[in-house]
Amino acid sequence: MNDICKKIRGDILKISHSSGHGHIPSCFSVVEALYSVYSTMRHEPQNPRWEKRDIFVLSKGHAALAHYCVLAHFNYFDLKRVYAFGAFGSDFGCHADRTKVPGVEVSTGSLGHGIGVAAGVALGMKINRAKSRVYVLVGDGESNEGSVWEAVMVAVNRGLDNLTIIYDNNRSQGRGLQLKKPVEIFKAFGCDAFEVDGHNVDMLCQALSAESERVKAIVANTVKGFGCKTLTDDHYQWHRRSPSREELIKMLEELDEKAV
Amino acid sequence: MRKQFKSTVMELAARDEKIVVLLGDVSVYLFNDFKTSYPDRFYNLGICESTLISVGAGLSLRGLRPFIHTIAPFITERCYEQIKLDLCYNRLGGNIVSCGSSFDYAWDGATHHSYGDLALMRLLPEMEVFQPGSGKELEVLIKKRYHSGKPAYYRLSDHPHQVDLDVEYGRGVVIKDCGADLTVVTAGPLLANVLEACKDLDVNILYFHTIKPIDSELIQLYSHTTFLIIQESHGLQEAVNQEAGVKSFAHGTPEGFCNCYGTLADVRKNLRLDPGSIKAVAQGLLCK
Repeated sequence: MNDICKKIRGDILKISHSSGHGHIPSCFSVVEALYSVYSTMRHEPQNPRWEKRDIFVLSKGHAALAHYCVLAHFNYFDLKRVYAFGAFGSDFGCHADRTKVPGVEVSTGSLGHGIGVAAGVALGMKINRAKSRVYVLVGDGESNEGSVWEAVMVAVNRGLDNLTIIYDNNRSQGRGLQLKKPVEIFKAFGCDAFEVDGHNVDMLCQALSAESERVKAIVANTVKGFGCKTLTDDHYQWHRRSPSREELIKMLEELDEKAV
Repeated sequence: MRKQFKSTVMELAARDEKIVVLLGDVSVYLFNDFKTSYPDRFYNLGICESTLISVGAGLSLRGLRPFIHTIAPFITERCYEQIKLDLCYNRLGGNIVSCGSSFDYAWDGATHHSYGDLALMRLLPEMEVFQPGSGKELEVLIKKRYHSGKPAYYRLSDHPHQVDLDVEYGRGVVIKDCGADLTVVTAGPLLANVLEACKDLDVNILYFHTIKPIDSELIQLYSHTTFLIIQESHGLQEAVNQEAGVKSFAHGTPEGFCNCYGTLADVRKNLRLDPGSIKAVAQGLLCK
């Protein structure tokens, strides 16, 4: 595991323990994707509204804690502020509000919304002849929502080659409606689709940087709770749970054991 | 009113390059000349109301000013959460313009009737709600508010009233004040029937084109009288009754589905919104 991504997972665990909030398994499946996007895209953390920046949208809004920790790593704000996660009066809600958190472009939470807004941003960039790109991270569970596929159809039909969809294929719907062969589905919709190991930063960055003349769909194969055996053994139990002090210590040790 | 909508947007687009039209495969032929003049600002996205709203929100994030247009029940009820979250909660401006409201598609049945849209839009934080009764009113309201930075809902009608009124955003209109104890209140195209019904009655008449923000000041001026709210859509009644001290009766909006077909006049008669029925209701209150 990338050292920075390991550190970010540690931050997520500590903040979840401290605040009593967080979707830890979902957050852990997207750490590398988030880190890779912010390592690849054009942005200026000290000037979050920089006109020529690329835009990232976290469509699966319940992974907000991971997003905050990654933004803090890139110096959008001090990580200490995120310890107020979910608290009354905090800027850092369990789903992000774009009017409160620097670097958050779209307020999300209800599933199936972010990708449509991202398509609109991409279309707006085309209209304004801006050279920027849009990255949107959608969950595989979220993709049960029909609005996701409406947005994909519209994006493809409008030739939005400035839009990159990262599909977090963490098999979250194994007990529900799990989409099989997502790469084939994205291809059938007309995307330039391929799959990568969603926990491999080098592969993700390479995929994110690759040239494409169509809507790009990167299926990131991930594991819920990646990096912690306690989480991967029973991610359903941990869906919205926060670790106790003893559990936190054990999980931080597991993270270290997993270190590459 | 649809033609007025197109010509107003066309006129504004000539001087505001931020205007973008998003259609849900409705009024496409009407906007042919807009498409010819501004090909990169015209998008018939298809029959996908949720995405129409989400894409509109995305355009707004880029500083553009979208006009999002399709049939009333579909662009309000089907994609209510997209309007609530992508536009309102994200604090993004956007102009939702519907056609086929109330019973403009009377013959198509309940799937195409729309008499909850104004009330639903009114519930959303940030949202402004307009029910113009004529093309002139529509033009005034759009020109005043399309670039306000707030989400707004404009409701077109195929059956505008023919009354020439000078209107102002956020202000109700006193059509008649005879010092009566009964004030008939209405909004939008139904004004025509209300005027016909009340021409020989001693009642005050108030008219609204802006449902939200409602003109509280005007309502308060008449709050010592009894209000008879004549409406063919929910929304006005709730807006008027939010004011303190209002005593009102509402007439016209059905409970349950409107299970009949025919023409707008047929449906209005069925709902007792024809001039004769409205007159009878008002006379009933005057006799009390």
